[in-house]
Amino acid sequence: MNIVGISACTVGIAHTYIAQEKIEAAAKKAGDTVKIETQGTIGVENALTAEEIASADIVLLAVDVKVSGEERFAGKKIVRVPTQMAIKSPNKLIAKLHELAAS
Amino acid sequence: MEEQASVLDVIDAGTVLTHLQAHDKAEVLSMMADSLEEAGYLQDKEIYLQDVYQRESEGVTGIGGYIAIPHGKSAGVRKIGVSIAVLDEEIPWESLDGQGVKGIILFAVGNDDRGARSHLKLLSLFARKLGREEVVHDLLAADSAADVRKAFMN
Repeated sequence: MNIVGISACTVGIAHTYIAQEKIEAAAKKAGDTVKIETQGTIGVENALTAEEIASADIVLLAVDVKVSGEERFAGKKIVRVPTQMAIKSPNKLIAKLHELAAS
Repeated sequence: MEEQASVLDVIDAGTVLTHLQAHDKAEVLSMMADSLEEAGYLQDKEIYLQDVYQRESEGVTGIGGYIAIPHGKSAGVRKIGVSIAVLDEEIPWESLDGQGVKGIILFAVGNDDRGARSHLKLLSLFARKLGREEVVHDLLAADSAADVRKAFMN
């Protein structure tokens, strides 16, 4: 499965990047292709390209704040969770994405 | 390898406290803020700690696995820095898994980040490492600042 997403927390220093790492590790473990854009204090990094979004099966927004560029995902299946869910139970979250993408 | 070397630059042996004896969050944060102040990272420790506690009040900073990541983006910060504490005994802390914490990583970031982009980038790569089980495992077992650095080489 092909997952793209965004992680963003309130201060944009710590949770954003820990969530990114956990999501990417869990997705890779499940055999998925994954790319998570981060929107933190430093700004947007690891930005998603239009092609990556177009080929994604599902969009994961692990966000505690309003993020920019959500309109890029118009027409896509979007799952929105707080960063803490991605940090606490990344494997469960990826399993859930598989379920939702298949439904 | 190059990337790892630069992530390690975030770690300042002067602000790493291993085998720390502390009983609660307030005591730990105070000791960690002292180390940041002594090493020249803070402009105003009181203002910085106020901002750290403000963030604590907004949501859980214990990320599970005995690790907490309190942080403050604050006018009290002079330059971007990190203090790392490894405690001998677990202390109570609000966390995602309901456990206390033994490893605390306290981030200090200023309100005005212009000109600090490369530092912020390093800090984000450093934070990312805290999402790795091997890093956390080795960090909690660290005896010294050298061990802490090694943990982040994972």
